[in-house]
Amino acid sequence: MAHVSVPMYWRTIPQRYKMVGQKCKKCGHVNFPPKGVCKYCSASSDFEEVKLSGLGKVHTFVLISAGGAPPEFAEQEKAGGQYPVAIVELAEGPKVIGQVADVDPKSIAIGMPVKTELRRIYSEEGVIRYGFKFVPAEGK
Amino acid sequence: MPIGISGYAAYIPKFRIKKEEYAKAWGSFAAAGVAEKSVMGFDEDVLTSAAKVAKRGLESVPLAPEKVSRFALASTSAPYVEKLLSGTVLVSVGIPGTAFCSDHTSSTRAGTEAMIAALEHMMASSSGRAVVVAADAPSASMWDTIEHPMGAGAASFVLSNEDLIAEVEAYACFASEYLGERFKPKDEETLHDLNVKKYEEGSLLANTIKSGNAILKMLNRKPEDYQHVVIQQPDARVPSTVAARMGITDAQLASGLVVKSVGDLGAASTLVGLAAVLDAAKVGDKILVISYGSGAASDALSLKVMSDRKSPFKVQAELERKEYIDYVKYLKIKGAIV
Repeated sequence: MAHVSVPMYWRTIPQRYKMVGQKCKKCGHVNFPPKGVCKYCSASSDFEEVKLSGLGKVHTFVLISAGGAPPEFAEQEKAGGQYPVAIVELAEGPKVIGQVADVDPKSIAIGMPVKTELRRIYSEEGVIRYGFKFVPAEGK
Repeated sequence: MPIGISGYAAYIPKFRIKKEEYAKAWGSFAAAGVAEKSVMGFDEDVLTSAAKVAKRGLESVPLAPEKVSRFALASTSAPYVEKLLSGTVLVSVGIPGTAFCSDHTSSTRAGTEAMIAALEHMMASSSGRAVVVAADAPSASMWDTIEHPMGAGAASFVLSNEDLIAEVEAYACFASEYLGERFKPKDEETLHDLNVKKYEEGSLLANTIKSGNAILKMLNRKPEDYQHVVIQQPDARVPSTVAARMGITDAQLASGLVVKSVGDLGAASTLVGLAAVLDAAKVGDKILVISYGSGAASDALSLKVMSDRKSPFKVQAELERKEYIDYVKYLKIKGAIV
């Protein structure tokens, strides 16, 4: 299992629970997750905190099937079957990786509008790790 | 100044299992009047459902989460026995950490308990804004027939002193001591019920009728003054049993009777029922809500509809968005195969 310690996970809660990103004060690009130096202009560490809309579009995706899931997601695959993991281009620009839930794996497509929602990601050391997954943006 | 509901929303998870699936697996289905019930996905729990329905409730007003000064969360099915539950939801929704938050657990009456706790905050600080969420997915051993009715769902309400959809006119409570019905002993994984039917009906009637009659007396009303009545729905028979004793008709129960398509929603039962009633109610309609939790207690709330404004997140739409699963998939999602 890709071990993420609780303190390390805790530091990323603003991103995992409510999509807090940073806007570069020099070039105006939005970084998500936050960076030490803006990944777009590589010239500024001066940021303003912004809450992202959670809306985006599937940039590309892969379907994870039996045997392909990392150990922390193996049980999820066994219970629910094949699940999609997508790179999503957020409305504010950044591309992020995440699972797509509440969707028939066969119907997911590039360009599909999605939005973030709080879900149980996995559990380790008896601690439930909550975070965002993407769900289809229609029907809310 | 009147205090009441200025926004509301429902969330019903999309998976459904039909009673026929239980009949195939076990030979019978022990949930009177329940045709199918809702089931949470593998990656959902009462906290993720609460976050979703709280956001919807705020959006229905609309109200910015930063304005919320009180957050009350109710569930009998929390993922932790000890650890703040409302914090997960509060942070995800964006409600300030300075808002007073409270967790209401350990009774199916917790939904109305949370509502009353938030109302008391509003009475003390009328410029405040409160969010009440009941999210539940009760569970029991698959070997026990008390598991059969257990569904999943959530509702949220924004309490305010302006732009009211419905004013809360009054509330009344009754608590007493009864043993042996729907309880979870410390250190035990599953819910127990000694299933002494007639005795349990005695507790149900004693508590609900006392809180119900107390509110009627308080407002000098008769049961027929209410167009809509929501009574705790562990199955579809219980509300009718209570109603018959109080002189309430099945027609008055109709608009809020959600149990037949979602199952027993535990602490969210009466509040999802209330959301369904608000979807249908007209200005001037009066609504009576009576909850029940084993052990035992009952709360009654009386509301008056002030506006035709409806939530964009209707219970009916939630009921129509569904995907059927079979019993084996149900066991897998519930983590019942170990």
